[in-house]
Amino acid sequence: MKPLTWGIGLLVLAALAIMPFFVTSYIVSFTIQTFMWVALAGSWNLISGFTGYVSFGHVAFFGTGAYTGALLISKAGWPWLPAGLAGSVTAAALALLIGYPCLRLKGPYFAIAMLGLNEVVRALISYFEDFTGGGSGISLPPILSIEPVYYAMGLSAVSVTLLTYVIITSQFGLRLLSIREDEIAAEAMGINTARLKLYAFLLSAVFPGIVGGFYAWYASHIEPLGTFPLLTTITMIIMCLFGGKGTVWGPVLGAVLLSVFQELVWARFLFVHQALFGALIVAVVLLLPKGILGVLQERYRLPRAI
Amino acid sequence: MRDSLILEVKDLTKRFGGVTAISRCSLALEPRRIYGLIGPNGSGKTTLFNLITGLEHRDEGEVRFKGERIDGLKPHQIALRGIGRTFQIIRIFPELTALENLLVVARSTGGAARRRALELLAFVKLDRLKGEYAGNLSYGQQKLLEFTRVLILDPELILLDEPAAGVNRTLLNDLLEAIRGLKEQGKTVVIVEHDMKVVMGLSEKLFVLDYGEKIAEGPPEAIQNDERVVEAYFGR
Repeated sequence: MKPLTWGIGLLVLAALAIMPFFVTSYIVSFTIQTFMWVALAGSWNLISGFTGYVSFGHVAFFGTGAYTGALLISKAGWPWLPAGLAGSVTAAALALLIGYPCLRLKGPYFAIAMLGLNEVVRALISYFEDFTGGGSGISLPPILSIEPVYYAMGLSAVSVTLLTYVIITSQFGLRLLSIREDEIAAEAMGINTARLKLYAFLLSAVFPGIVGGFYAWYASHIEPLGTFPLLTTITMIIMCLFGGKGTVWGPVLGAVLLSVFQELVWARFLFVHQALFGALIVAVVLLLPKGILGVLQERYRLPRAI
Repeated sequence: MRDSLILEVKDLTKRFGGVTAISRCSLALEPRRIYGLIGPNGSGKTTLFNLITGLEHRDEGEVRFKGERIDGLKPHQIALRGIGRTFQIIRIFPELTALENLLVVARSTGGAARRRALELLAFVKLDRLKGEYAGNLSYGQQKLLEFTRVLILDPELILLDEPAAGVNRTLLNDLLEAIRGLKEQGKTVVIVEHDMKVVMGLSEKLFVLDYGEKIAEGPPEAIQNDERVVEAYFGR
């Protein structure tokens, strides 16, 4: 990255850091959600944007983190910050368990398996009622101030983006891309694709676990249906594709633009906003399959790491 | 088992459903030589490459590299032991740049790997296109890029599946020179090639496959006059 890029980045970060002192709590809440989407779309990018293994169940890691956080807070009396961070451990453990067998599946089979994973995790959580509260979920004490969550979510979003930058500028990142480009050729060239895919999958589960844990605290209440919706996975995917998969700033751009879009549309056209979002999905896939940054990259020969 | 062999294929058999693609095939390759592998379309040349490099699993027989069994190893393990290959249908990484296509497989990452990659690109006259997506290169350029990608892996045994196809005449001579140079560097090369002039000119010894069976082996002059080979190519 050029010094100018760094400078702009630092200015934006500084502005975001002091923003909560100057804006309404509505804006702060909206930004918390946007941070969450940046972290989620960026995480999906790490496995699917880089290796081409499309995960249709990524919300499972978010939900696992949310339940880990909520249980640690409500049953073990942990403070919310370590409880949220602990979501990364269970999410990564789940990724290891499921990634080892499922990453052998190619193309649509992996996508379907991940979809199934999400349903299994949700069903299990509903089933173990005594522990998880079943269908009615877990209630946590209401939070008194949202600013700490703002910074925690913000740091998560920044961390995912930095991690993506570090990966994309490394040989590890190039090797992940080579899996997306031609896995057989990568294997034949001495690249241990099975292991690298698993690493990428683990990394892609960590931050959804963390922001899931923070989300549980922020929302004060979680239940299976609202914590594991397929729509959340689809939103991550669309944000990442819209901004540009396999790039550093694509998921950030996609998450910010679509969050703003959703907020505006939701406020104005309450009843058709789902339909408008659906239309947008179709438009992105048809017109911008490589995303905004993908198109700019091709046209202006920009590096992936911008 | 002769220790002096770099590759020994023994009674290798591979079936796809009812089709026997490779049938009790045996080859012995000595180090620092250039071999040709020829045969009509569908005779099993590419399948043999796939079996040696682990992309297909044998049904019977064994493959030894420098005396050790490698059948059953994963493709990347075989590659790291020292067998590199190119593909008949080009398999570059289209959305990586030409330079990245080499850096991605380099065994080290620092400046030395980068210098070597640039050196290889310059050698096939692709240095000015190093920042271009590989997918935007011409067919012949992609073929050359794939060739240099094997070289950066620095394998002892190199399997080239139709390296000359689609490469223009001026670059072809450089390419042939490079393949001969590999022998000087101590490498062993096996070439599958349909252009008989190319393969006869390069190879010290040829193996001929027909319907998955090795029907002949020997120096080019002998192969050209071999009755079974002529028959396999032109029919009775």
